[in-house]
Amino acid sequence: MSTLFGTFVGPMIQLTIDGVQVSAPASATIFDAARVSGITIPTLCHLQNETPVGVCRLCVVDVGGRVLAASCVRQVENGMKVTTNSDKVVAARRTLLEILMADHPSPCARERHSGDCELEMQARNAGITELRYPKRAFARPKDDSSLAIAVDHEACIVCDRCIRGCNEIRQNLVLGRMGKGASTGVAFDLNSPMGESTCVSCGECMVSCPTGALTNKHIAGTELPIPVGAELAEAEDLVHLPVFKGVSGTFLDMNKGAVVKRAFRAGEVICREGEFGSTAFYIAEGRAAVSISTPMAHVKTSGGARGFMSRMKSSLTARDSDVREEEATQTYIPIDASVDLAYNNPVAELGPGDLFGEMTCMSFYPRSATVRALTDCTMYEMLRNVFDILLKNKSFRARLGKEYKRRALETHLRGVPMFSELSTGFVERLMDNVKLLRLSPGQTICKQGEPADSFYLVRIGFVKVTESFPGGELVIAYLSRGDSFGEIGLLGSGARTATCTALDHVELVKIAAEDFNAMVGQFPGVRRGLQQLADERSRQNTERMAALGTISLDNFLSQGLMEAQSLLVLDLERCTRCDACVRACADAHDGITRLIREGQRFDRYLVATSCRHCKDPLCMVGCPVGSIRRRNSLEVIIEDWCIGCGLCARNCPYGNINLHPFEVMAEDPDSPGRRIAAVKQKATSCDLCTEHAEPSCVYACPHDAAHRVDPRKFFGDLLGMKG
Amino acid sequence: MRIDETHRVWLVASVLILGATTAVYVLYALEAPHGPRGGSPLGLTFGIIGFGFMIYAGLLGARKQVPVWRLGRAQTWMRGHLWLGLLALPLILFHAGFHFGGPLTSILLWLLIITVASGVFGAILQHYVPRLILERVPMETIYDEIDRIRMQLREEAEGFMEDLCGNAPEAVGVITAQEQDMELRAGGYTALRPSRTGTGAQYKLTEEEVEPVRSFYTAELLPFLVHPEGPDSRLADETRALGAFSKLRMLVPAAAHPVIANLESLCDEERQLTRQVRLHRLLHIWLLLHIPLSLALLLLSVFHVVIALRY
Repeated sequence: MSTLFGTFVGPMIQLTIDGVQVSAPASATIFDAARVSGITIPTLCHLQNETPVGVCRLCVVDVGGRVLAASCVRQVENGMKVTTNSDKVVAARRTLLEILMADHPSPCARERHSGDCELEMQARNAGITELRYPKRAFARPKDDSSLAIAVDHEACIVCDRCIRGCNEIRQNLVLGRMGKGASTGVAFDLNSPMGESTCVSCGECMVSCPTGALTNKHIAGTELPIPVGAELAEAEDLVHLPVFKGVSGTFLDMNKGAVVKRAFRAGEVICREGEFGSTAFYIAEGRAAVSISTPMAHVKTSGGARGFMSRMKSSLTARDSDVREEEATQTYIPIDASVDLAYNNPVAELGPGDLFGEMTCMSFYPRSATVRALTDCTMYEMLRNVFDILLKNKSFRARLGKEYKRRALETHLRGVPMFSELSTGFVERLMDNVKLLRLSPGQTICKQGEPADSFYLVRIGFVKVTESFPGGELVIAYLSRGDSFGEIGLLGSGARTATCTALDHVELVKIAAEDFNAMVGQFPGVRRGLQQLADERSRQNTERMAALGTISLDNFLSQGLMEAQSLLVLDLERCTRCDACVRACADAHDGITRLIREGQRFDRYLVATSCRHCKDPLCMVGCPVGSIRRRNSLEVIIEDWCIGCGLCARNCPYGNINLHPFEVMAEDPDSPGRRIAAVKQKATSCDLCTEHAEPSCVYACPHDAAHRVDPRKFFGDLLGMKG
Repeated sequence: MRIDETHRVWLVASVLILGATTAVYVLYALEAPHGPRGGSPLGLTFGIIGFGFMIYAGLLGARKQVPVWRLGRAQTWMRGHLWLGLLALPLILFHAGFHFGGPLTSILLWLLIITVASGVFGAILQHYVPRLILERVPMETIYDEIDRIRMQLREEAEGFMEDLCGNAPEAVGVITAQEQDMELRAGGYTALRPSRTGTGAQYKLTEEEVEPVRSFYTAELLPFLVHPEGPDSRLADETRALGAFSKLRMLVPAAAHPVIANLESLCDEERQLTRQVRLHRLLHIWLLLHIPLSLALLLLSVFHVVIALRY
């Protein structure tokens, strides 16, 4: 009598399996009773740690009844005589295997990579070499959308293991069944692609899958270089870290090389503002200072009274010396870390449990600040494939979500003057009610015309706001970290006036309509501020849309000229190509021209390459510190905290943004407290020579060929003339 | 500068000034006992005004050196240069009483006449040539960067030959030397042009088919791209180039025709660049005469004023 059921106390059932007397608890299944007796019954759908479901029927045994019984679900009975390998049973199993193999893409991915596809192994063991049954009439798709797991529905035998792994073991509740008959399959959420579903890529389904339907993806180049002093982080160490709690060890093991453990000495620089990177950091031990070392100043080109007789000069000017119209009044600088920096003192501290470099890792934006170790630190540097899973991990999000919400509400909301009157109590209420939404690139947040049910704050990423018109969509704005949207619909007609889409990896704080209404009800100042903002945005949108209706679209849209608000056009019938305009621009800006006498042509006009103050300002996308934005007049402004990373210059499709170098005395990031001469850059673009009544390029053209025009009026008149 | 309706005010004012001064001069000439003289009060007046107009016209060059200084729009200076400069001639003739006088004054008058004539010639060129460039050089680029564009054309031609023939015979020494001469400019290059790299052509010519293409490339195409303004190249003339490429097409299979079309297009672009260079030179070459002469005129005029007043 077997005692392999351990210390079980209770009535034991006596049965016979293949002639062997077996004792088993009353609740045991035939499969378990056979297993503890050393009798192997083949199966595909059964796993010991999952509730048996008996769907594959491979484990059928003969219990003397009319039909064969699935041993994984059939309970033992007193006196039962079980045969696991009778001719009838063997024939049934063989038929099942043949039917499954007929549709199986042999060799499947798992069989190719590790040779252990359970279905193919079972078929080999059963001596199946030829298939009598035809393949299914329709092909099943592959799903490559997940970063970590490849899905091949063709190889899926609908054994249910992945569903039970996801729902029972991990309780992520992502996987389920869909369809019926021959089209039955597994589905993620409501049959979304895996990468777009709520799947957290824990890897449990992949580990559970007996075939190559769910396999690990090996992405080329997913190994970090290991600097001196660093070491590869092993999966068995990572799973013990709080930050990796809930992440599948199998997944971490299969992505070895994507996480590196690094040690930094006190004073060592971990990353510098403006550098490009592709990793995020998690601080395990120690404290680090995060700061912006580029001077808090903007580029001012001036001549003043002296300008009459001297060339204009560009210099770095602080906000208190030169107040510009509509410059930002917010008191913080949004950076890519779990803190924001105060404008007046852009230094903060990060400690154990903090993350930084999220946007750099997910969207490859430049580093937004310089991080230097204040004490000896231990950090984990990770690539996007691992970081993406962390961000989706429930326990990680539960821990950090509260912090993210608090920061979004405290700094992004109350840091903006219009929200400053919100009481602490109200903010606490919002903390409990708001939701953090995570969106993938291209995902729609809300559609034009839909009922407005929430107000959003952008925590990270960029949101594109577009409005439809007959013929297409017009980009109204790009919103970045710290911006808000959704107020127009809530305060107005109740319907969304634009479509908002995630441009990259976006996280939003969603404030539901009832909380928003409570906010504007209790705080009249907030209501006024939001109403003003809504009115201004509506006015600008109406203006833009009205312009579209007055001019033939094809000519403009094909050249992008409608996107400009101010174009420098050169009349090529007057221009003698003397380059006086370019020289004047260079003279006006310390020898660095912001204008190139080359570009698109329309009729006899050359649209010179010079800032167009586009309505769809691609320069704004990706700014790591949100310093390039638009004034209400739609003119582009570059704020004081520009770190000179150059991303806007790279993004501008017309090459209209330059990096202007300045020599300054700046803090030496390698030796805190010591100041050294350094060259710092600030982004600049055509400023229309606002010091003077007319841009220098137009002023200096001797042939009346250069003009700054409003494209709608200018080209509209032209098209009108052409009938 | 185009002389159009925007010059009307200047034209009317100039005509009025000319009319008035002519009337005054005629009366003065008829009544002067010894005939009109430069030293007479009216003669001096004509001379001073005429010299003043010449100074103003001459200051345009200085004005262009300080484009950002707010000393009046460059356009105003240019129009003044044109009309007042033109008016300077009759006024100085009135001042001289239509007498050339001694060696200095003869030289001065001839300098003035040639300077004004060259200026008028330049104005005519500036009126017509920009439109010519617009019409005849649709692929116009930035003049300073033409050499770089030409280098790109050669590189593209080489690429097409490699696509088609497996390799392109190089003009060793010529291209290398030119590339060495061409240093990277501060600020880089900004001229925009469509790149034709990569037709995706998979067709490679056989050994037999390659020969005519290779010899055409070596004997005609590459020399034309290297020295586009050289003499006796068929490809420098549009019609003859058309004939040359048509003949080449007959010698290769149809699958190679897209690459031949690209090579033809490169030649067309090269011809346009040559045209642009010529028109650009035409638009500006008159300045080589006008500027030195006007400087000489101003200097000698100062000398004349000093001599005339002192002695």
